[in-house]
Amino acid sequence: MVRIDFNRLRFLVIDDNAHMRRILRTLLHGFGTREVYEAEDGAAGLEAFTHYSPDIVITDWAMPIFDGMELTQMIRQPGANNNPYVPIIMLTGHSEKKRVIAARDAGVTEFLAKPISAKGLYQRVLNVVANPRPFIRTRSYFGPDRRRNTNPNYIGPERRKGGKAEVIKQQPLLEKAKALL
Amino acid sequence: MSQKKQNLAAVSTFADHEVIVPPNKLKKAVEKVKPGTKIDFDPVARAEAALAELADDFSVWMEQECLRLDAARNAIRASGVTPGNRDVLFRAAHDIKGQAATFGFPMVAPVADSLCRLIEHAPDPGRVPMPLVDQHVDAIRAITHRNTRGDSNANAARLAEKLRQVTDEFLVHENRDRPDTLESILSPALAPNG
Repeated sequence: MVRIDFNRLRFLVIDDNAHMRRILRTLLHGFGTREVYEAEDGAAGLEAFTHYSPDIVITDWAMPIFDGMELTQMIRQPGANNNPYVPIIMLTGHSEKKRVIAARDAGVTEFLAKPISAKGLYQRVLNVVANPRPFIRTRSYFGPDRRRNTNPNYIGPERRKGGKAEVIKQQPLLEKAKALL
Repeated sequence: MSQKKQNLAAVSTFADHEVIVPPNKLKKAVEKVKPGTKIDFDPVARAEAALAELADDFSVWMEQECLRLDAARNAIRASGVTPGNRDVLFRAAHDIKGQAATFGFPMVAPVADSLCRLIEHAPDPGRVPMPLVDQHVDAIRAITHRNTRGDSNANAARLAEKLRQVTDEFLVHENRDRPDTLESILSPALAPNG
């Protein structure tokens, strides 16, 4: 069983809505985090990311200047900053399949649909901290492994070429969370 | 192991991709707890309690969000729809959709969701009927102002359902030649709520 020492984590919250930033800050402080930085749009978020080097980024999708998707793509540019591997939790009112897949393909680590709950946020943080996924680089993608587990019933062609299986099996999040709560 | 080596990612190269295991900088925050150990601190309960302390402000915040939505609607009324004011209206509705339940107004969220769909999926913003936009904005304000907190208000539920129905009929008609958009409009949400 694991627990997270939130006091050792620094968060960057990027949301153009001041009320949502306040809610996130309140929840994170409630978990035990001390260091929570805030930014109100994608541009300020990128600047804060470079300046504060947070351990975890929580970002909204729809924001002025550039949005959470564009921010994710900028952070995930190898060589553009000192931590392209930072976990990014996308917190958004968008929950449509097309949006979730687009966020995943941009390199988002976890997706959390609003309305937010303390438990939902905790589980996402627990997952990125306790179950970090390897990163995959292809010609068209750089980000967390989009395969979260192996499906023994899969009968289609192997799309990744190169021999040995590289999927790292993880304990389901739900079991970890149940053990903790 | 040297500090330098610890900071390097382990890279396995395959024919068409690389698997990279980055240095685990968050390991510092993981504490292993022996089974049976009593844990006094429940982070989720404490965060919920902290959020509950904000509850007195939620009505004021909701009112502010409604005023923002109303102003966005009035801007479109005054000067016609433009990409800029359409975006402002969408973001105001989208924020209400995401926050209403947290603020204690869950019956408002479906109406805001319907308004977001209307704005987002109409291929020609100029063809969106202004009365339908007005009905959404007025419904959001009415449900909020009548303090229909909780989820038991049957009138609010019927209103939301009707607005969603009319909106979907409009969107299906407007997108009748766009099968991909139609699929996107009619497919259920994939992500579970937070």
